[in-house]
Amino acid sequence: MAFQTLDGNEAVASVAYRLSETIAIYPITPASVMGEHADDWATLGRANLWGQVPGVVEMQSEAGAAGAMHGALQAGSLVTTFTASQGLLLMLPNLFKIAGELSPFCMHIAARSVATHALSIFCDHSDVMAARGTGFALLASGSVQEAQDLAAIGHAVTLEPRVPVMHFFDGFRTSHEISKIAVLSDEDLTALVSREGVQSHRSRRMTPDRPVVRGTSQNPDAFFQSREATNPFYQVFPERLEAVMERFADITGRHYQLFDYMGHPEAERVVILMGSGAECAHETVEWLTGQGEKVGVLKVRLFRPFATDQFLQALPGTVTHIAVLDRTKEPGAQGEPLLLEVSGALMEAYSRGDRQILPRVIGGRYGLSSREFTPAMVCAVFDQLRAASPKTRFTVGVRDDVTHLSLEVDNELDIESPQTRRALFFGLGADGTVSSNKASIKILGEGTELYAQGHFVYDSKKSGATTVSHLRFGPLPIRSSYQIRQAQFVAVHAPQFLDRFDVLEHAAPGATILLNVPWTPEQVWDRLSVEVQQVLVDRKVRLYVIDAAGVAEAAGLERRINTVMQVCFFALADILPRDEAIARIKDSIRQTWGRRGPEVVRRNVEAVDSALANLHEVRVPGEVTATRRRPPRVPRDAPDFVQKVTRLLMDGQGDKLPVSAFPPDGTWPTGTSQYEKRSIALEIPIWESDLCVQCNFCAMICPHTAITGKVFEPEAGKGAPDTFEAVPETHTPELEGLDYRLQVAPDDCTGCGLCVEVCPAKDRTQPKRKAINMRPLAEHREAEAKNLAFLRSLPDVPRERIPRDFKSLPLLIPLFEYSGACAGCGETPYIRLLTQLLGDRLLIANATGCSSIYGGNLPTTPYTVNADGRGPTWNNSLFEDAAELGLGMRMGLDRLVGRARQLLEDLREKLPPDLYQDLTGPCATLDEVAMAARREAVTRLRDWLADQQGREAEELSNLADELCPKSVWVIGGDGWAYDIGYGGLDHALASGQNLKLLVLDTEVYSNTGGQQSKATPMGAIAKFAAAGKETRKKDLGLLAMSYGHVYVAQIAMQSHSNHTTKALQEAESFDGPALIIAHSPCIAHGYDLVHSPAQQKRAVDSWAWPLYRFDPRRIHEGLPPLQLDSLRQKVTMKNYMQEEARFRMLELRDPERYEQLVAAASEAAQEQRELYKQLAGIHFEPHEHPEPDQKEGDRHD
Amino acid sequence: MTELATRWLGLDLCSPLLVGASPLTDNLDALKACVDAGAGAIVMHSLFEEQLVAEQMAAHRFIDSRINMDAEARSFFPESEVFEMGSGSYLKRLETLQNALNVPVVASLNGISAGGWVQHARELEDAGASAIELNLYDLATDPSDTAASLEQRQLDVVRSVVEQVTIPVSVKLSPFYSALPAFVAGLQAAGARGLVLFNRFYQPDMDLDELELSREVVLSTNAELPLRLHGIAMLFNRTALEMAASGGVHSGDDAAKAILSGATVVQMVSVLLREGPSALARITGEMNQRLSTMGYRTLAEARGALSLANAPNSRTWERLNYAHLLHGWQSSPGTT
Repeated sequence: MAFQTLDGNEAVASVAYRLSETIAIYPITPASVMGEHADDWATLGRANLWGQVPGVVEMQSEAGAAGAMHGALQAGSLVTTFTASQGLLLMLPNLFKIAGELSPFCMHIAARSVATHALSIFCDHSDVMAARGTGFALLASGSVQEAQDLAAIGHAVTLEPRVPVMHFFDGFRTSHEISKIAVLSDEDLTALVSREGVQSHRSRRMTPDRPVVRGTSQNPDAFFQSREATNPFYQVFPERLEAVMERFADITGRHYQLFDYMGHPEAERVVILMGSGAECAHETVEWLTGQGEKVGVLKVRLFRPFATDQFLQALPGTVTHIAVLDRTKEPGAQGEPLLLEVSGALMEAYSRGDRQILPRVIGGRYGLSSREFTPAMVCAVFDQLRAASPKTRFTVGVRDDVTHLSLEVDNELDIESPQTRRALFFGLGADGTVSSNKASIKILGEGTELYAQGHFVYDSKKSGATTVSHLRFGPLPIRSSYQIRQAQFVAVHAPQFLDRFDVLEHAAPGATILLNVPWTPEQVWDRLSVEVQQVLVDRKVRLYVIDAAGVAEAAGLERRINTVMQVCFFALADILPRDEAIARIKDSIRQTWGRRGPEVVRRNVEAVDSALANLHEVRVPGEVTATRRRPPRVPRDAPDFVQKVTRLLMDGQGDKLPVSAFPPDGTWPTGTSQYEKRSIALEIPIWESDLCVQCNFCAMICPHTAITGKVFEPEAGKGAPDTFEAVPETHTPELEGLDYRLQVAPDDCTGCGLCVEVCPAKDRTQPKRKAINMRPLAEHREAEAKNLAFLRSLPDVPRERIPRDFKSLPLLIPLFEYSGACAGCGETPYIRLLTQLLGDRLLIANATGCSSIYGGNLPTTPYTVNADGRGPTWNNSLFEDAAELGLGMRMGLDRLVGRARQLLEDLREKLPPDLYQDLTGPCATLDEVAMAARREAVTRLRDWLADQQGREAEELSNLADELCPKSVWVIGGDGWAYDIGYGGLDHALASGQNLKLLVLDTEVYSNTGGQQSKATPMGAIAKFAAAGKETRKKDLGLLAMSYGHVYVAQIAMQSHSNHTTKALQEAESFDGPALIIAHSPCIAHGYDLVHSPAQQKRAVDSWAWPLYRFDPRRIHEGLPPLQLDSLRQKVTMKNYMQEEARFRMLELRDPERYEQLVAAASEAAQEQRELYKQLAGIHFEPHEHPEPDQKEGDRHD
Repeated sequence: MTELATRWLGLDLCSPLLVGASPLTDNLDALKACVDAGAGAIVMHSLFEEQLVAEQMAAHRFIDSRINMDAEARSFFPESEVFEMGSGSYLKRLETLQNALNVPVVASLNGISAGGWVQHARELEDAGASAIELNLYDLATDPSDTAASLEQRQLDVVRSVVEQVTIPVSVKLSPFYSALPAFVAGLQAAGARGLVLFNRFYQPDMDLDELELSREVVLSTNAELPLRLHGIAMLFNRTALEMAASGGVHSGDDAAKAILSGATVVQMVSVLLREGPSALARITGEMNQRLSTMGYRTLAEARGALSLANAPNSRTWERLNYAHLLHGWQSSPGTT
């Protein structure tokens, strides 16, 4: 039997791919990886079981994928797909169809929470449970091995009873867990799958040779019977599944049943559940029965159709108390789905007399959104079952102090076998920790007899992300489907973690601790905080240190320390002889990076060779000697909510917060990112005021609002910190007399260097010295933090005083700051600029994607407020519906505005005339003078209303703010705008509503890892376009222009900020829908984003990204609505393309295809330019708006 | 007519006029046209040590380090995209040219360290290169780096490349050596078979508006030729290495001068980039016309006829030439 270490996604995809002919996919976390594997294998020409390369197609949405699957099934193909959460919900209508037509089909779900009050990418079963009425069989796996095996069983069983199968396993916990499993060979699969089943499926295909009609419309006389006619297929399904499971056992030796019972044969207390939680319950039951407890666990493999007979058979007759655990929540239901099925089955059996005891059944929820589910929680459930009056409904894993449903859990309980070694690694996203841990698991899993498991936890930041790797290995199979709580080895790969988290919380007594620190061994102890020293002393650990960053840097690997730390892990963990471990690490480096090039291998091997000489043990003294305490996580003056809730979320202690700490409806305060100081930059920009020309280009381009220019009254600057420097504002006449300062936010900067890159001011005698230069954070952090605090405390100059040109605009207060976006992100500057223009009058509807993650992922969020407490209000609904959400906001808002005006009219007689005047005149959102006057008038109105009696006054007081105009902007990426949300976007534009749509176009699905969208340019390699995209990028702007009433602009801010500011203001001032398509450099383009301004300029200059504005207002002035703002092609398409890895990859892989696609892309640009030139040259006679009743055909002049 | 067929580095060539290392490598149609116009061999553009290393490390930094760092994005490129950022595409190109062109294809390597990259020489041979042109381009900026140590480093590079392959290796030099003949003797001892004289420095210009350096490729003119003629003439008969003239040949007379100074072959780039492949036919015709008019039946007869060793007024190549020129302007013919 062949063993491999794989994650659940790969294990499942490998089976599904080999057993399918058509695969329709769409990216969604955590299932994307399965589709990526399928696409990749197809690109590499890997065949399925029938010697064919499956057809893999990425659709515009999961709804599209479901339609394509349905069609492929009708054509007689063997079909699969992979999805989760909202994706599954989008498929639902088709799933009813597929099941209704009794189509053999198996799909795979990495189960994930369905978004409710918030999106969550993590696991629960709310998605599959929402699909339980579709008519699909629901098959649940609890581990990587099971996921692979049940995937195969699912594909095999669906063929005969013709019931489609939804195979699910837990997102992240199983989909991303790496585990050593026995893999299924092609021969195993061939033996498992019925040839006859395949044949009969094919023979039912639609063909004009044997025409049939499917999908009829049926009337009351026919529909019902047809539905009932499917019953026999569902009735036989459980037996057929059992038969396939037996066949599987014959082939592989691994036995599965519809319900697997494990525990005491005469158990009294039993828990019933499905998914990975059942593995934890299994482990706990083994431990409890070992202590003589009469307990058991029933693992549900087949949830639908619910096989009552087999269920009753599997459940020992001695059981008196049952707890059914559901990993989902159905508010208001009598119980969650599994509980209802179990209760119904037992009740029926008891009432029929088939069962002598009707056990007491209680139901609980656990593990929502990947909340930990541990042996201690399983024990708490068993304890509850022993209670005199157990809670009928309960939760476990949260502290519910609101409805008091939760069970008490003894979190100290540790039942893991001492034979299983446990190691924890705290790494930075980019330092390669997870990659090397995955390699280590492979080394251990595939090179030794040991079992191995790896689980990886990532925070939600895209820059400076923290990763925690949980590795287990040992001689026994590993069922622990929860995070490590007692680690014998803890590695801290970044020294700053020591002051940020309690990284040693889970260090077991006597553990080995490995720190990567830039200090000598002698310096280490004295640099540790009291808290860290205390743990080291109390737990009597062995402490080892290495300057891994120094070793990596010496080997030419910059800060990529993973191989160095990997060597240290093997050296200290003592699992393999050192030399053997090192040899295996080197092999693994050669295997992984050999194809990248010999230099990459050479440098990594050099790092490996230098590692051990730099590893030192530090003797831990008998007592704590430090006086320095770990710095507070948030400033002491942070708001109460931040102190009590946000701080704990930041500390990774959020699961200790009780239910009452959380808003029940998902409403959170804005402006919290300022309290999350991550200090992830090594170098930050430091201002040289003597050189600065106050152009604010740096502030304009900064993706994290980490460098800002501010003007203020010189008087206000008194009392500044010593290092706070300011100079007179000398470049903008309107700001004469004010002082100017450029300020870095040292703890929020990511060190991307874009600001320095665009700084135009140079020292004439030493031109490499600019007006800002990157300098070590450590040297400047303290002073700049104080300066920043002081600068933020200075009063803002009135908005109306700041000119709206591109150099001065960055002086407006940004209301979007310090997001967790990638270093060098090309999207965030657009959002920041938008908030500077309109932030205090802005409603945002945000599509799911990068912008919703850095825009709204807890613990802290970047949208913030000005000194008046006003700022953008933000909502993310779904991926596909942002335009509709925005449209709804606009319409809803307009109704309230209408009502407010109506009330104003009603009260007009009583109102002071000047006040009425001030509240009803024209007021545009961009007219700062009018806006300020209107706000002031609203304040006066409120004061006046306070003295009035009556419902109207009260109502108007509530709505008075709506007398100040608001702007609604929809923000999303190209996946939304070009693909999944295009229908809605198109409809919103067509509606004519005053709605603005900002497309942050990275030309791929960035958030899920670079899958192609219809915005992906020709010739680019992307996931799902691994051979290079061969069709043109959709011209979204042109489609929008075709309406004639939509303002459209294509912009590129990093290189053409003047144009961008103009377009944004024109769009805002346009009384109607506007579409702005914004070029957004992204790490998925594969180059150093510090060069993004130059590269974006190449995009513009080559006409890969032409700049234009289409303003319908111009038609009425007799001007062509389209203005080309980048008319000439200044560089070749190749010149642009060769600078990005996404194109270069194709050149390396297939130079001829690359050349062809470069030529085709050039041709496309040429054609587009010709077309646009003609459009921009159209001459219109100036005309008034046509009379409403005048039709085009009526004109005869 | 002069017989143009010649032998260089042990390769039989139909003409001494070669397409030098240039971006033309990427344009198969142009190269075919050059061959049709009479090119004797093609030299590919260089496989750069720094470029190979830089690209591999950039991929490691900007692609590989973004793997496994995000819960939602396992990576940002398809998994199958972990493929060679090294010599792979160059080798493929070499094979394509070798198959498509019926003249020898010389591969070119450019590096300054005797490190692991020299293994690429073997790959070039395996991929069918007829010879290797090793471009030594080492700029001394470190005050402690002496001429002797720099030259030794270069000789080490040559030796390690020669050791990798069985095909001939010619070495392309920059014009600035204190004692070129001695260094060339060292190259010969290190196993080199040929010389290419000289490299053109693509020196950066200055952008005075932006106060920064700008990189622009400036094509050669025939004003650059005399430097080459001088070097070749000096070395002719003083080294067994066969010499190629490179830089500044824009006409048949230029090419003839190169042969007369002692070059076995003549490489051309700028003129082809400027005029297109047809320039090769023009220059071949002009050169042939000139040499045959001068009565040379073979290239061997012409080769080195005006070198330091053979020229009637050979000392003109040496110091006296310098002295003469210095004084010459004071009493130039035709001035008063």
